[in-house]
Amino acid sequence: MSIDGMLTILMYALAPFKWLLIMGLIVIIALHLLTYLRGYKITHHRSRLTNLLALLIGLTAILWVPWLTHSTLGYVATVFDWIALLGAATATSVIAFIILHPLSYLISFRDKE
Amino acid sequence: MQKSPLLTRRELLKVGSGLSVGSLLPFSGLSASTLRTQAHIVIVGGGAAGMAMVNRLARRLQGGTITLVEPRETHHYQPGWTMVASGIWAAEKTMRLNAQFLPRGVKWLRDYADSIDADSKRITLVGGETLEYDFLIVASGIQLNYHLIDGMTPALVGQHGIGSVYAGIEGASRTNQAIQTWLQSGHGRGIFTAAPTPVKCAGAPLKMTFTTLSRLEDTGRRDAFDVDYMAPGASLFSQPWVDEFVKQRFDSQGVNRRHHYRLSAIDPQAKQAEFAFVGPESEFTSHHQLREAEFRRDDQPTVIADYDFLHVVPPMSAHDFVKQSALIAQDGPFRGEWLDVDIHTLQHNRYPEVFGIGDVIGAPINKTAASVKAQAPVVEGNLLAVMQGNALPASHSGYTSCPMITGIGKAMLVEFGYADNFAFMPSFPFIDPTEESWAVWVMKDRMLQPAYYAVLEGKA
Repeated sequence: MSIDGMLTILMYALAPFKWLLIMGLIVIIALHLLTYLRGYKITHHRSRLTNLLALLIGLTAILWVPWLTHSTLGYVATVFDWIALLGAATATSVIAFIILHPLSYLISFRDKE
Repeated sequence: MQKSPLLTRRELLKVGSGLSVGSLLPFSGLSASTLRTQAHIVIVGGGAAGMAMVNRLARRLQGGTITLVEPRETHHYQPGWTMVASGIWAAEKTMRLNAQFLPRGVKWLRDYADSIDADSKRITLVGGETLEYDFLIVASGIQLNYHLIDGMTPALVGQHGIGSVYAGIEGASRTNQAIQTWLQSGHGRGIFTAAPTPVKCAGAPLKMTFTTLSRLEDTGRRDAFDVDYMAPGASLFSQPWVDEFVKQRFDSQGVNRRHHYRLSAIDPQAKQAEFAFVGPESEFTSHHQLREAEFRRDDQPTVIADYDFLHVVPPMSAHDFVKQSALIAQDGPFRGEWLDVDIHTLQHNRYPEVFGIGDVIGAPINKTAASVKAQAPVVEGNLLAVMQGNALPASHSGYTSCPMITGIGKAMLVEFGYADNFAFMPSFPFIDPTEESWAVWVMKDRMLQPAYYAVLEGKA
């Protein structure tokens, strides 16, 4: 399949979530911009609670991702199923971290003030 | 009338294939190259097959005329109808405008084909317009012959406990309502049928049974419901491994399988169905050979069954205007019912300027959108070769695919072709076609529709 074909499939697959994706991106960019202006750097700020929360949110994805797809965890059966589900859980953890990490900085920044 | 498989030199000159052909790469070469022509190409049918061919040819041809004959404004994603009839998708999700997929420069006639005169290379439309073609692609899909079941009409779907996933998007929605009504009644007998002819998406009757079983189990009162599956032949599915799997699964899920029965009549008011016993020697499967003329036989014993829900799968064939033309198969298993093409090259067996694609062709399997994906580049490559007077470079393997839904939330990715008694042809080495999988279900639920639209655009 050509790259054009793959992009066409991706475009149609993401189309129903277009506004959700746009809004999510706006929130993340705005959050990072806001914290950056207050001195936030992702590599400098440490927050164990954030790491733990992001991990837990990712783990909950194992339960609700199948539900979102009109299925149940009980039908996650093959090796490929588990790789796909763990991939979804990892992606959820990363997104949670990207949101929670600057937020935790903002909270600690406010506490310092 | 018999013709040679390739056009004569005179015919080539007539269609303007004294054209510039130097830039055209062979089939394995890529669609970047174009063919200059003055030919008139008519594509009958704007479903998955017709629309894919319109887009592919619009990119490959320069100077010719492409005419699409398609009456409907709305394009239906038919593989989604099982999801609608199972209460998973909203009907709107399966509909888009045909205009969205139509490339510029294509002439779109919003009318039905009425007849084809293959010897004169002429098509007459229901509105009276006549089209003369140099090349013809028949992609007219399938005709639902509900009238071959006495007492049955599509209008009954959704009433009197009758469902039929094939009866259009409205029929799929009403099928869901009929199943829901049955579930709410808390008990009763559901009968699922299969047709004694080839059908489009041969897995759909099985999928409807499996998704309904899921819904029955979700009521917590599965034992209060009886489920029967009436099959006209010994097999339930053409792929042997899947056939055996489905039989075993039906048995373990309490489905009463009855073989060699076809639905012959219904009495909607009485909620009774009549089944004709077609004989223990019948080996009908989803691709068997029963023809319309053979349907009514007085010597066949019948049984009457009461039902609370009945899933009707109508007998199917090519459309009447194809059946009444010289393009129909004259002999062999598809005679009188399906388009006469070479199942590998997809070129008509007697009219070399005619190709067939999609549900209309006489082939042992292949009435799925996945088949169209595999067939479209073959028709494209071979048609362009014929236009240049070259030998046909492309061959269809018979590839078809059925995401066999075995319950709401799980499915098997069944892909197979003509070779080795319909042996599996898996596209992904990491997906086992014999395993039920959540990821395959997600593909069915989320990814196959985007892939289908890419096929329509000629990009997949």
